[in-house]
Amino acid sequence: MLDAVGLALIGTGLVFFAAGSIGLLRLPDLHSRLHALTKADNLGLGLLAVGVAFLAGDLLIAVKLLLLWLLVLAASAASAHLIARHARLRGQGR
Amino acid sequence: MSRVFSRQRVLLVTAAVGLWLLLTDGDPASWLVGVPVIALALAYGERVAGPAGTPLSLVGILLFIPFFLRESLLGGIDVARRVLAYRPRVQPGFARYPLSLRSAPARVLFANTVSLLPGTLTVEMRDQEIELHALDMRGDYYTELARLERAVGRVFGEVH
Repeated sequence: MLDAVGLALIGTGLVFFAAGSIGLLRLPDLHSRLHALTKADNLGLGLLAVGVAFLAGDLLIAVKLLLLWLLVLAASAASAHLIARHARLRGQGR
Repeated sequence: MSRVFSRQRVLLVTAAVGLWLLLTDGDPASWLVGVPVIALALAYGERVAGPAGTPLSLVGILLFIPFFLRESLLGGIDVARRVLAYRPRVQPGFARYPLSLRSAPARVLFANTVSLLPGTLTVEMRDQEIELHALDMRGDYYTELARLERAVGRVFGEVH
Protein backbone atom coordinates (compact mmCIF):
# COMPACT_ATOMS: atom_id res chain seq x y z
CA MET A 1 0.00 0.00 0.00
CA LEU A 2 2.75 2.46 1.00
CA ASP A 3 4.69 1.45 -2.09
CA ALA A 4 1.70 2.28 -4.28
CA VAL A 5 1.38 5.72 -2.68
CA GLY A 6 5.12 6.26 -3.12
CA LEU A 7 5.04 5.28 -6.79
CA ALA A 8 2.01 7.49 -7.44
CA LEU A 9 3.81 10.46 -5.86
CA ILE A 10 6.96 9.79 -7.89
CA GLY A 11 4.87 9.57 -11.07
CA THR A 12 3.13 12.87 -10.29
CA GLY A 13 6.50 14.46 -9.54
CA LEU A 14 7.80 13.37 -12.95
CA VAL A 15 4.80 15.02 -14.64
CA PHE A 16 5.85 18.34 -13.07
CA PHE A 17 9.48 17.84 -14.12
CA ALA A 18 8.22 17.27 -17.66
CA ALA A 19 6.04 20.40 -17.42
CA GLY A 20 9.09 22.41 -16.32
CA SER A 21 11.07 21.27 -19.35
CA ILE A 22 8.10 21.82 -21.69
CA GLY A 23 7.79 25.34 -20.27
CA LEU A 24 11.45 25.93 -21.03
CA LEU A 25 10.76 25.08 -24.67
CA ARG A 26 7.37 26.74 -25.11
CA LEU A 27 7.51 29.99 -23.14
CA PRO A 28 8.42 33.16 -25.05
CA ASP A 29 11.23 34.77 -23.03
CA LEU A 30 13.97 34.15 -20.49
CA HIS A 31 12.07 35.38 -17.44
CA SER A 32 8.94 33.36 -18.21
CA ARG A 33 11.08 30.25 -18.68
CA LEU A 34 12.59 30.73 -15.24
CA HIS A 35 9.07 30.54 -13.77
CA ALA A 36 8.59 27.10 -15.28
CA LEU A 37 11.99 25.86 -14.13
CA THR A 38 11.77 27.08 -10.54
CA LYS A 39 8.15 26.35 -9.67
CA ALA A 40 7.39 23.19 -11.63
CA ASP A 41 10.72 21.52 -10.90
CA ASN A 42 10.60 22.40 -7.21
CA LEU A 43 7.17 20.87 -6.84
CA GLY A 44 8.31 17.88 -8.91
CA LEU A 45 11.32 17.33 -6.67
CA GLY A 46 9.17 17.71 -3.53
CA LEU A 47 6.72 15.04 -4.72
CA LEU A 48 9.61 12.81 -5.81
CA ALA A 49 11.25 13.17 -2.38
CA VAL A 50 8.04 12.32 -0.49
CA GLY A 51 7.48 9.37 -2.84
CA VAL A 52 10.99 8.01 -2.30
CA ALA A 53 10.56 8.49 1.46
CA PHE A 54 7.43 6.30 1.31
CA LEU A 55 9.32 3.62 -0.62
CA ALA A 56 12.29 3.73 1.76
CA GLY A 57 10.07 3.59 4.86
CA ASP A 58 12.92 4.92 7.01
CA LEU A 59 12.67 8.06 9.13
CA LEU A 60 16.35 9.02 8.79
CA ILE A 61 16.16 8.81 5.01
CA ALA A 62 12.92 10.84 5.06
CA VAL A 63 14.56 13.62 7.10
CA LYS A 64 17.53 13.57 4.74
CA LEU A 65 15.27 13.86 1.69
CA LEU A 66 13.40 16.77 3.28
CA LEU A 67 16.70 18.54 3.90
CA LEU A 68 17.85 17.92 0.35
CA TRP A 69 14.58 19.33 -0.97
CA LEU A 70 14.99 22.49 1.12
CA LEU A 71 18.64 22.91 0.04
CA VAL A 72 17.71 22.50 -3.63
CA LEU A 73 14.82 24.97 -3.19
CA ALA A 74 17.16 27.58 -1.74
CA ALA A 75 19.76 27.01 -4.46
CA SER A 76 17.24 27.13 -7.29
CA ALA A 77 15.42 30.22 -6.00
CA ALA A 78 18.75 32.02 -5.56
CA SER A 79 20.10 31.05 -8.98
CA ALA A 80 16.81 31.92 -10.70
CA HIS A 81 16.94 35.34 -9.04
CA LEU A 82 20.56 35.88 -10.15
CA ILE A 83 19.81 34.90 -13.75
CA ALA A 84 16.66 37.08 -13.80
CA ARG A 85 18.54 40.04 -12.34
CA HIS A 86 21.48 39.72 -14.71
CA ALA A 87 19.21 39.45 -17.75
CA ARG A 88 17.21 42.49 -16.60
CA LEU A 89 20.40 44.55 -16.15
CA ARG A 90 21.58 43.53 -19.60
CA GLY A 91 18.32 44.94 -20.95
CA GLN A 92 16.55 41.72 -21.85
CA GLY A 93 12.82 41.37 -21.48
CA ARG A 94 11.41 44.87 -21.75
CA MET B 1 33.85 43.51 19.76
CA SER B 2 32.24 40.10 19.72
CA ARG B 3 33.72 37.17 21.59
CA VAL B 4 35.07 34.25 19.56
CA PHE B 5 32.66 31.82 21.25
CA SER B 6 29.47 33.85 21.25
CA ARG B 7 26.23 31.95 21.87
CA GLN B 8 25.21 32.62 18.29
CA ARG B 9 28.38 31.07 16.84
CA VAL B 10 28.25 27.99 19.08
CA LEU B 11 24.64 27.45 18.01
CA LEU B 12 25.43 27.84 14.31
CA VAL B 13 28.47 25.53 14.45
CA THR B 14 26.41 22.89 16.30
CA ALA B 15 23.64 23.13 13.70
CA ALA B 16 26.09 22.96 10.79
CA VAL B 17 27.91 19.93 12.27
CA GLY B 18 24.57 18.20 12.90
CA LEU B 19 23.44 18.89 9.35
CA TRP B 20 26.71 17.54 7.94
CA LEU B 21 26.53 14.38 10.09
CA LEU B 22 22.99 13.77 8.88
CA LEU B 23 23.82 14.28 5.22
CA THR B 24 26.99 12.14 5.26
CA ASP B 25 25.88 9.36 7.66
CA GLY B 26 28.83 10.37 9.84
CA ASP B 27 31.44 9.11 7.40
CA PRO B 28 34.76 10.26 8.98
CA ALA B 29 36.45 10.87 5.60
CA SER B 30 33.72 13.41 4.73
CA TRP B 31 35.11 15.86 7.31
CA LEU B 32 37.98 16.50 4.88
CA VAL B 33 35.39 18.45 2.89
CA GLY B 34 33.00 19.24 5.75
CA VAL B 35 35.32 21.23 8.02
CA PRO B 36 36.46 23.75 5.38
CA VAL B 37 32.93 24.02 3.95
CA ILE B 38 31.39 24.75 7.35
CA ALA B 39 34.11 27.27 8.21
CA LEU B 40 33.71 29.08 4.89
CA ALA B 41 29.91 29.08 5.09
CA LEU B 42 29.86 30.54 8.61
CA ALA B 43 32.53 33.14 7.81
CA TYR B 44 30.69 34.20 4.66
CA GLY B 45 27.36 34.26 6.47
CA GLU B 46 28.72 36.61 9.12
CA ARG B 47 30.24 38.83 6.48
CA VAL B 48 26.96 39.14 4.62
CA ALA B 49 24.39 39.17 7.40
CA GLY B 50 26.49 40.42 10.33
CA PRO B 51 27.10 38.58 13.60
CA ALA B 52 23.90 39.74 15.31
CA GLY B 53 21.28 37.02 15.50
CA THR B 54 17.74 37.74 14.39
CA PRO B 55 15.19 36.36 16.85
CA LEU B 56 12.89 33.79 15.30
CA SER B 57 9.28 33.30 16.31
CA LEU B 58 8.25 29.65 16.73
CA VAL B 59 4.60 30.48 16.07
CA GLY B 60 5.66 32.40 12.97
CA ILE B 61 7.61 29.41 11.69
CA LEU B 62 4.75 26.98 12.39
CA LEU B 63 2.36 29.24 10.46
CA PHE B 64 4.84 29.73 7.64
CA ILE B 65 5.34 26.02 6.86
CA PRO B 66 1.77 25.22 5.72
CA PHE B 67 1.61 28.55 3.85
CA PHE B 68 4.86 27.73 2.07
CA LEU B 69 3.82 24.17 1.16
CA ARG B 70 0.42 25.29 -0.13
CA GLU B 71 1.89 28.07 -2.25
CA SER B 72 4.61 25.76 -3.68
CA LEU B 73 1.90 23.33 -4.69
CA LEU B 74 -0.29 26.04 -6.24
CA GLY B 75 2.73 27.65 -7.94
CA GLY B 76 3.77 24.38 -9.58
CA ILE B 77 0.25 23.49 -10.69
CA ASP B 78 -0.36 27.00 -12.04
CA VAL B 79 2.76 27.10 -14.18
CA ALA B 80 2.29 23.50 -15.40
CA ARG B 81 -1.28 24.27 -16.54
CA ARG B 82 -0.16 27.41 -18.32
CA VAL B 83 2.63 25.75 -20.30
CA LEU B 84 0.57 22.66 -21.15
CA ALA B 85 -2.33 24.68 -22.59
CA TYR B 86 -2.80 24.55 -26.36
CA ARG B 87 -1.43 28.08 -26.55
CA PRO B 88 0.72 28.86 -23.48
CA ARG B 89 -1.43 31.23 -21.40
CA VAL B 90 1.03 33.94 -20.42
CA GLN B 91 1.15 37.71 -20.59
CA PRO B 92 4.50 38.42 -18.97
CA GLY B 93 5.71 41.74 -17.66
CA PHE B 94 7.56 43.48 -14.83
CA ALA B 95 5.95 44.90 -11.69
CA ARG B 96 6.98 46.49 -8.41
CA TYR B 97 5.98 45.83 -4.84
CA PRO B 98 6.78 48.19 -1.93
CA LEU B 99 8.66 46.13 0.66
CA SER B 100 8.68 47.14 4.30
CA LEU B 101 10.59 44.14 5.73
CA ARG B 102 13.88 45.42 7.13
CA SER B 103 16.14 42.65 8.45
CA ALA B 104 18.38 40.90 5.92
CA PRO B 105 17.20 37.32 6.64
CA ALA B 106 13.54 38.36 6.35
CA ARG B 107 14.20 40.04 3.01
CA VAL B 108 16.09 36.99 1.70
CA LEU B 109 13.31 34.62 2.75
CA PHE B 110 10.74 36.92 1.12
CA ALA B 111 12.70 37.21 -2.14
CA ASN B 112 13.20 33.46 -2.42
CA THR B 113 9.61 32.58 -1.58
CA VAL B 114 8.25 35.10 -4.12
CA SER B 115 9.82 32.93 -6.83
CA LEU B 116 7.86 29.91 -5.60
CA LEU B 117 4.51 31.69 -5.44
CA PRO B 118 2.19 31.28 -8.44
CA GLY B 119 3.23 33.61 -11.25
CA THR B 120 5.89 35.77 -9.59
CA LEU B 121 9.69 35.80 -9.77
CA THR B 122 12.09 38.10 -7.90
CA VAL B 123 14.21 40.17 -10.25
CA GLU B 124 15.74 42.94 -8.13
CA MET B 125 15.72 43.93 -4.46
CA ARG B 126 15.97 47.60 -3.65
CA ASP B 127 15.86 49.30 -0.29
CA GLN B 128 12.14 50.09 -0.27
CA GLU B 129 10.78 47.90 -3.05
CA ILE B 130 11.16 44.68 -4.94
CA GLU B 131 11.01 44.40 -8.70
CA LEU B 132 9.42 41.20 -9.89
CA HIS B 133 8.53 39.44 -13.08
CA ALA B 134 4.91 38.38 -13.44
CA LEU B 135 3.95 35.50 -15.70
CA ASP B 136 0.53 37.02 -16.26
CA MET B 137 0.06 40.74 -15.71
CA ARG B 138 -3.73 40.24 -15.44
CA GLY B 139 -3.33 38.46 -12.09
CA ASP B 140 -3.69 40.11 -8.68
CA TYR B 141 -0.21 39.73 -7.20
CA TYR B 142 -0.44 42.54 -4.72
CA THR B 143 -2.74 40.62 -2.34
CA GLU B 144 -0.60 37.46 -2.59
CA LEU B 145 2.62 39.35 -1.89
CA ALA B 146 1.07 41.21 1.04
CA ARG B 147 0.06 37.84 2.56
CA LEU B 148 3.59 36.53 2.03
CA GLU B 149 5.10 39.64 3.57
CA ARG B 150 2.97 39.22 6.69
CA ALA B 151 3.87 35.51 6.91
CA VAL B 152 7.62 36.24 6.59
CA GLY B 153 7.34 39.16 9.03
CA ARG B 154 5.82 36.85 11.63
CA VAL B 155 8.72 34.38 11.30
CA PHE B 156 11.22 37.10 12.23
CA GLY B 157 8.99 38.87 14.74
CA GLU B 158 8.62 41.98 12.56
CA VAL B 159 4.84 41.56 12.34
CA HIS B 160 2.57 40.17 15.04
